[in-house]
Amino acid sequence: MSDETRETRIEAQNPLSASQNNPEKTSHIKSLIWGGVVTLIILAFLPVPLFTTNLSFMFYMMLWLTMATSFNFVAGMAGYMPFGYVAFYGIGAYATGVLYKTFGLPIPIALAGAAAAGVAIGLLLAPTLRLKGVYFGIVSLALAMAMKLIISLMPAKITGGSLGLILSSANDPTMAYYAMFAVLLGALAAGTWLSMSRLGIALRAIRDDREAAEVVGVNVVRTRLKAWVMATMFPSLVGGVEAWYTNAIDLESSFNLLVTAKSIVYAMAGGLGFLVGPIVGASALYGIDQLIWRHFPTLNLLILGVVIIALMLLLPRGIVGAFAQRFSRFRRFIP
Amino acid sequence: MLKVDQLVKTFGGMTALAGISLTVPDRSILGVLGMNGSGKTTMLNCINGIYEATSGEISLDGVSLIGKAPHAVFTEGVGRTFQVPRIFPQMSLLENLAVALLNKGLSNAQVAEISAHWLNKVELYRLRHNYAEELSGGQQKLLELARIMVANPKLVLLDEPFAGVNPSLALLLIGIIREMPQEVGCSVMLVSHDLTSVYELSDNILVMHEGHVLAEGNAEAIQKNPDVIEAYLGA
Repeated sequence: MSDETRETRIEAQNPLSASQNNPEKTSHIKSLIWGGVVTLIILAFLPVPLFTTNLSFMFYMMLWLTMATSFNFVAGMAGYMPFGYVAFYGIGAYATGVLYKTFGLPIPIALAGAAAAGVAIGLLLAPTLRLKGVYFGIVSLALAMAMKLIISLMPAKITGGSLGLILSSANDPTMAYYAMFAVLLGALAAGTWLSMSRLGIALRAIRDDREAAEVVGVNVVRTRLKAWVMATMFPSLVGGVEAWYTNAIDLESSFNLLVTAKSIVYAMAGGLGFLVGPIVGASALYGIDQLIWRHFPTLNLLILGVVIIALMLLLPRGIVGAFAQRFSRFRRFIP
Repeated sequence: MLKVDQLVKTFGGMTALAGISLTVPDRSILGVLGMNGSGKTTMLNCINGIYEATSGEISLDGVSLIGKAPHAVFTEGVGRTFQVPRIFPQMSLLENLAVALLNKGLSNAQVAEISAHWLNKVELYRLRHNYAEELSGGQQKLLELARIMVANPKLVLLDEPFAGVNPSLALLLIGIIREMPQEVGCSVMLVSHDLTSVYELSDNILVMHEGHVLAEGNAEAIQKNPDVIEAYLGA
């Protein structure tokens, strides 16, 4: 009896087995789950400005969802850990501010310029994509420090010097909110495409075993570069939109390493490598972060640190990763 | 045909390969024997581009492989397995095979068809949607072999394919390797400590010792070679 015949009999007796061994059905269920998650996100964020003028909580929730999702492109899908991820956030903020304030360009063009600046700086880092593991992380961290230094040394009439830039004339929190919404949807769309495309397969192969991937024909540097470009564009846009939302840009907050730390923690807490991982992680931890902040403002970081340590100790693969490990038969349905 | 000419590989002051020359004709199996540290795996690493040769020439069907990265060597038709299987653990068996076909310009249906053929061949078809990490060590070796065979290679480098494999899977592997030259049309370089399998499968055998070729010939000649007996067989 051939494998196919034997399998058909097993499938007829066991519906779960049938869906497990039917790629179309598995893919369909996975797509339905992911479609449901995206629909929930749209329903949760899209109408908010219609009901309230206090948009901050939801705005920053979207910001962290985007940061964690785009961080997942490199860390979860390609196996990189760019510790200096904040560099692109800061570049995006300053590019937006300088293009708007100094050069008088409209905000949408300034934001496009921010994305282009982030990608351009990311491409400058391309030769270091050959580096393995922690070495790349260190180089990216050095980039963040170097960018902060370079901007601080630029003429104050361009960057605003130590006072930074104020974009009060561009003030429009609702439009900024919807801009962040669009960036989030863009990141989710990019993640969806990555996970379904051949590029996504190549990236996951590199993540699992870089050398083995290269030995079976994957051009590791070129493949990583594509993911890297996508991963640098979104934090740059996020930095730019956040600058528009707050109307203020300064070196300390634009290049604050906590931005990288939170992106890493939120993505890891949810589960790297899964599309829903950063969504779950950022939603849960940002919510907890805000609750702690509201009730224990002076102990906020301490308590959040304890929560994160507990999470990493108890669920090292993140919330979604732990679920996938515990219920491995359902893992293939998790987007 | 693979031609290796005066291949030298040094690591600092240590010479791992001291001028190795060999030929693997089309549709043939070259067995490579040698004690640990004799340079067998280093030679495979030089052929498939993981290591850059210090000097010498390596060519496949007249095309030089020197200076080519592993992915480019794979594109030239050289597939390779490792002593400890290097599968993609968090990917399904089908996805593992799909990686090797990414640059072939095939449709999804063609990828699925070729993958199904080879998964059937290595008796892993029923597990095709399982994650590779769920396989036993022996099954991972079979998956690794299938992963290079889907790409229809001209030359297959097998590094200790029978190590840690249970007897029934070893028999399956032996059967597949035996058929490869005629059925697939590729050449095979088989590095193994399993003397019986090497003698049984190989058209020609090369014995390496401390980075040199100690002897070359068919199974019978190798077993009678006094240098080999002294240095390797020890009896």
